[in-house]
Amino acid sequence: MSTGKVIVSAESVVMDYQTPTGIKHVLNDISFSLLEGEFASIVGPSGVGKTTLLRLLTGLMQPTSGTIRINGEVVTSPPPGLAVVLQDYTRSLMPWLTVEKNISLPLKRLGLSKTEIAETIELVLTEVGLRGNQKNYPWQLSGGMQQRVAIARAIAVRPQLLIMDEPFASVDAQTRFDLEDLVLKVRDDFKITTAMVTHDIDEAVYLSDKVVVLYGSPADVKEIVKVDLPYPRNQVASRGREEFAELRTKIYAQVRGLQ
Amino acid sequence: MIKKVSINAIQSLWLPISLVAAWWLFSTNSEDPFFPPLSVIWDQFVLLWVFDNVPIHVVPSLINLFSGFSIGVLIGLVGGVIIGTNQGLARYIEPSVDFIRSIPPVATVPIFIMIFGLNYEMRVAAIAFSAIFPTMLAVIQGMHSNNPTLLDTAKVFRLTPFQTLVRVRIPAAGPIIFSGIQVSLQVAFVVTIASELLGSGFGIGAFTLIATDTFMITDAWTGVILMGILGYLVNLVFNLVERRALRWYLASKKLS
Repeated sequence: MSTGKVIVSAESVVMDYQTPTGIKHVLNDISFSLLEGEFASIVGPSGVGKTTLLRLLTGLMQPTSGTIRINGEVVTSPPPGLAVVLQDYTRSLMPWLTVEKNISLPLKRLGLSKTEIAETIELVLTEVGLRGNQKNYPWQLSGGMQQRVAIARAIAVRPQLLIMDEPFASVDAQTRFDLEDLVLKVRDDFKITTAMVTHDIDEAVYLSDKVVVLYGSPADVKEIVKVDLPYPRNQVASRGREEFAELRTKIYAQVRGLQ
Repeated sequence: MIKKVSINAIQSLWLPISLVAAWWLFSTNSEDPFFPPLSVIWDQFVLLWVFDNVPIHVVPSLINLFSGFSIGVLIGLVGGVIIGTNQGLARYIEPSVDFIRSIPPVATVPIFIMIFGLNYEMRVAAIAFSAIFPTMLAVIQGMHSNNPTLLDTAKVFRLTPFQTLVRVRIPAAGPIIFSGIQVSLQVAFVVTIASELLGSGFGIGAFTLIATDTFMITDAWTGVILMGILGYLVNLVFNLVERRALRWYLASKKLS
């Protein structure tokens, strides 16, 4: 799935926070890279700094030392060609805008004509299975559907890099499976390089080409686990494979500090 | 549906109807010159305000109210956005704003009389001045309470500063801003009446004051009642506008 071009690279990234009680070291020397078309998950125990790492990747925060490059450019603010899907869809979609306005808001800057914007909206809503919901407001939709809108908005900008922060943590289990498969499909159709934070190890294995395991305080990259499960993946067959069980056991042990 | 409407009507109307009925009943045989029977006040009210004196007294008051309120709210919105989006600036300006807004708005009327004289400009300026602060403070507070996730989303999707302000930050603060504007409206109404108490022959405030001073007590009562009705109607219009503008908010709250 990958062309070998490096889209994201983190080089010796260190992150310290200034807190009232002193300096808190969160990330200690994080390095990894992500090739074009790859899907990487970042896992680790609660509070290890997964979301911090993600915020650094988006350019919303700057590392204390080390560099993050996207497309070879050092990230100092959110770069062009980036899209995000966040856990809290109720706060990342604008409730005062309809579904179509939510999606078109970031498109307005890209110099697309009105027709192109309408076509894009139609295309991405069809992709996520929400065709015809243009005029609805996000709060009229279920949680899973709102997250689909967030995914549609993200792919509408044709991002080079999609960043997802626990995107399925707030929906029920069945919806979660549906959304995971949607992400696989979207990724296949749009060839988007993706980095996702999750605390669900099964989900990380199911979706990813590589899993970056963070561990420790401050956190290091414990291991970058390659996932060789064949494509196309599906919930029953892929999760039933022997490699799947081995990978999840291995990563689980690492996240728990047992290995 | 009909049942629900009638229950709502009973819930909101029983008290005003009872109060008016009680007033009517207990004042029927009143001979106190200061408390004429409500029936007498009512006859006079119809005589004066349906609609002979409306152009002379009601229209000027409403024009003053509307002009002053609009100017004040506009300044409040712009000022609030500027102060609310600049953390640094807020520290330099907010203490002064806090001081000025602590002055009772009615007490500033004499200052405006000194500046403008006893005229239309003075009244509008005093009303506008009083309307600025509730709106401005609400906008500042609203900007500060913008959810960080929302702002992060705007940044990552590289919205322009203008888009972020108009499409994200101001709508997000909408409910807070509207409650500020409503306070501005109430204060503006008070100052509208107060500004007419000095050196004016026109306006409901002026009419009521002159009636009191000339012992036309029944006329004065009709003025008071008219102010009540107008205040209520103005608020009603405001609520309709608010409900339209915040439809997304009210509907989303109902669903959650």
